[in-house]
Amino acid sequence: MLQQILESLKLFQPEIVLTVVLCASILLDLIFRNKPNFIGGFVIAGLLLAGYFVIEQANGVTQSIFSDMYAVDPFSVFFKALIILSALFVVVFSLQSKELNNGKRKLGEFYSLLIALSLGMLLMTGASNLLMMYLALELTSLTSYILAGYKKEVPDSSEASLKYVIYGSLSSGMMLYGISIIYGLTGSLSIYGINEALSMGGVNLLAPKSSGLALIAANVLMIVGFGYKISAVPFHFWTPDVYEGAPITITAFLSVASKAAGFAMMMRYFFVTYFDAVARSMEGHFTALPGFDWTYIIAIISVLTMTLGNLIAIWQNNLKRLLAYSSIAHAGYMLMGVVVLNNEGISAILIYFVVYLFMNLGAFYTVMLIANKIGSEDIDAYKGLGYRAPFIAVSLSIFLIALTGLPPTAGFIGKLYLFAALINAKWIGLAIIGVLNIVVSLYYYARVFRNMFLRDPEKDSSPIIFQPIHILVTLALVIPTILLGLYFSPLVDIAQASVKMMGLM
Amino acid sequence: MSIDTIVFFTLAISSIISAILVITRRSPIMSVVYLVLNFLILAVIYLTLQAQFIAVIQVIVYAGAIMVLFLFVVMLLNLGKEEALTEKITYKKRVAVGLVVVMLVQIIVGIMMSDSKFTRHIAPNAEQIGTVEGIGKMLFTQYLFPFEVTSVLLLAAIIGAVVLAKKRIDG
Amino acid sequence: MLTDFGRVFLFFIIAAIFVAAGLIVARLLRPHRWYPGKLTTYECGEEPVGTPWVQYNIRFYVVALIFLIFDVEIVFLFPWAVVYQNLGMFAFVEMVIFLVILLVGYAYVWRKGDLEWDRPEPEIPFIQILKRFIS
Repeated sequence: MLQQILESLKLFQPEIVLTVVLCASILLDLIFRNKPNFIGGFVIAGLLLAGYFVIEQANGVTQSIFSDMYAVDPFSVFFKALIILSALFVVVFSLQSKELNNGKRKLGEFYSLLIALSLGMLLMTGASNLLMMYLALELTSLTSYILAGYKKEVPDSSEASLKYVIYGSLSSGMMLYGISIIYGLTGSLSIYGINEALSMGGVNLLAPKSSGLALIAANVLMIVGFGYKISAVPFHFWTPDVYEGAPITITAFLSVASKAAGFAMMMRYFFVTYFDAVARSMEGHFTALPGFDWTYIIAIISVLTMTLGNLIAIWQNNLKRLLAYSSIAHAGYMLMGVVVLNNEGISAILIYFVVYLFMNLGAFYTVMLIANKIGSEDIDAYKGLGYRAPFIAVSLSIFLIALTGLPPTAGFIGKLYLFAALINAKWIGLAIIGVLNIVVSLYYYARVFRNMFLRDPEKDSSPIIFQPIHILVTLALVIPTILLGLYFSPLVDIAQASVKMMGLM
Repeated sequence: MSIDTIVFFTLAISSIISAILVITRRSPIMSVVYLVLNFLILAVIYLTLQAQFIAVIQVIVYAGAIMVLFLFVVMLLNLGKEEALTEKITYKKRVAVGLVVVMLVQIIVGIMMSDSKFTRHIAPNAEQIGTVEGIGKMLFTQYLFPFEVTSVLLLAAIIGAVVLAKKRIDG
Repeated sequence: MLTDFGRVFLFFIIAAIFVAAGLIVARLLRPHRWYPGKLTTYECGEEPVGTPWVQYNIRFYVVALIFLIFDVEIVFLFPWAVVYQNLGMFAFVEMVIFLVILLVGYAYVWRKGDLEWDRPEPEIPFIQILKRFIS
C-alpha cells in the first residue's frame, strides 16, 4: 500500500505543487496584508513550477495511480498544460484589471481561489473514478461560484454567482443521481470497472429484458453534469448571465479552462467507460458498446449547442454576452469531435482547444483593456475604436477572425482538423450543419469590426493610450493566434501524440 | 413479502411523502421541519442497509448542522410573508413535471426489467463495510486520495464563505 | 433481518406510538374551551410585541457555515481514530496532511476576524439579490 502511494506521488507533483501554493498563498496573504500584487507574483511562480512538472510528465507515461482513482496519461497531461497556461494568462490579466484593482478590494484570496480552481480542473482531467470526478467537479464549481461573485458590491456579480450556484447544484445533483444508478447497475465506481462489468454482463438494447434503458437514463443524467460544465445547450442558461456578471478575467478563465476540464472529463468518461474492448477494430479507432450508442445523444446536443449559441449571439449588444454565446457555439463545434470515435477526433479537439485558448483569452483580454479605458462593454461604445486605439482594435479583430475560423489565423486550422475528422468518419450531415453555423457566426463577429472601423466615434474621439505591458501581453496572444495558423505542424504532432488515454485500447 | 420489504417500502413511502411536504408547505419553517423528518427517515434507511456510520453522520451533519443553516437562511431572508412565496402553476412547470415523470418511469422500468446479474447484486460483506471500522479501512487505504481532496474542497469552502459573507469589500 | 439496529428501530416505533397514544387520549378526555388568550405565544406573562420574524444578523450564518465545515472535518476523525491502531504511522501522516490543509482555513478565518462578534450592518448586495431571486 505504502509503496503504491509513494509511486503514485511521483506522478502527482503538479497537483501537490498547486496544493502547497494554495495553502502558502493564503498564509502569505494573512502575513503581508494588502499586497495583492505580491500574492499574484507568488501564484505565477507556483503555476510556473506546476507547469514545469506537467511538462516533465509529457513523456508518454500512462499510469493509473491512487488505486485507480486518477489517471496520468498523455491526454490528461495535455489538458493540464492547457489549464495551467490559461491560469497563468488569467493571473496576469487580473493583475491589470481595473474592475478588480479598485484600491479597496482585497485580492489575496482571489489568487488563492484561482489556484484552487486550477487544482480542481487538473483533478477533473485525470479523474478515473466517478467519485473522484464528482469531487473534482465540485471543487471546480465551488470555487467558480465564489470567483464569479467576487465583485460583490456590484449586484450583477452577486446575481451571476447566485444563478451559477443554483444551476450548478441542480446539475451536479442530477449527475450524482446518474452516478448512483450506474453504480447500482454495475457495482463499480471506477470507469475501468464499469467497462468490465458492462462488457461481461452485456448491455443490449435490442434484447427484450435489459438494463439498457436504465443505463441510458443514467447517462442522460451524467450528461446534465458534463453539459453544465461545458455549457452545452440545453444546460447553458447560466452562461450569459455568469459571463456578463463575473469579473472579466474570471469569465475568460471559465470560458477556456473550465470548458477544457469539462471536455477532458466527459471524453474520458464516455470513451473509457463505454468502449467495446472485445470488438477490436483498426488502430486508432474504437467502437461504442453494442446497444448503447451514446454518440447520437452527443451529436444532437452538439447541433443544438452550436445552432442556438450562434443564433442568439446575433442579437447581443454587450460584447461579454456576445462572447458568452460564441463560447457556447464553440462548445458545440468541439462536441462534434467527440462523436467521431477515433484518435483523429480526439486530436482535432486537442488542437482546437489550444487555438481556442489563445483566441478566446485574447478576445476577453482586449475587451477588458478597452473596458478599463472607456468603461463599457457595449458594442455601440466601440464605434470608431479603430481610429482611437488602432493596435488594440486590430488585435481584437484578429481574435474575432480567428474565432470565426477564417484563414490565415489559427482558428482556421482548428476547424479544418475538426471537419476533416468528421468527414473521414462519415458524419457529413453534422459537418454541413457546422459549416452553416460558421457562416452565421461571421455575421455577429463582423458587427464588431464594422463598429470599430467603419463608424465614426460618437462623443469622445481622443486617442486611447495603452501601456507597453498591455501591448506586450496582447502580442503574446496575437502572435500564437497568427503563427499557429501558418506554422502548425508542431502543434498537430503534439496533439496526435497526446491522444493516448489510460484504459482505452 | 418479507419483513425487509415491508420495512423498506414503509420507509421509502414516508420519505417521499415528507419530501413532497417540504416543497408544498407555505411556511418555510414548516418546510424545514419536514426536511428534518426526511433526513431522519433517510438515516433509518441507511440503518436497514447496514450502513450505521452513515446513518449517524446523516443525523449529526444533516439533521443537525445543515438544518441550523437552513433556519438561519430562512430568518436572514425574513421570509415571514407567506403570500409572497406562493407560486403559480405555469405551462412550463407542467411540461417539466411531465418530463420528470417520463424520466422516472424510464429509470424504474429499466431497472425492473433488467436481467443483468449486477442489478440484484448486494455487496457480500455489507455488514463489515458499514461499520466505523470498515469505513475507516476503506477511507484511509483505497479511498485515501478522494479523502485528501476533500480537505482542499473544505478549505475552498471556508474561504468562499468568508469572502462572500463579508459585509465590506475590503474585509 | 431483526439485527441489533432492528431492535433499536422497534424501540423507536414503540416510543413514537406511546407518545402519540398519550396525546390522542388526552385530546379525547380533556375539556375543549379555548379563547384568544390561549393562542398567544406566552399565555400568562408578557404581552408579545411585534412579529417573531426578525431578520437575523449575517454573523450567525457565517459562524454556522464555518461550524458545518469543521463538523465535517470531525466526522472524518471518527473512523480514523478507530483504524489508527491497524494502520499506524501511515494513517497518522494522512490525517496530518488533511488537518494541516484545514488548519490553513482555520488560521484564515481567525486572522480575518470572523470568529469575533461585532455587530455590523447586514446590508450587502448578495443577500438583496438572494431576496429578489426568491420573491
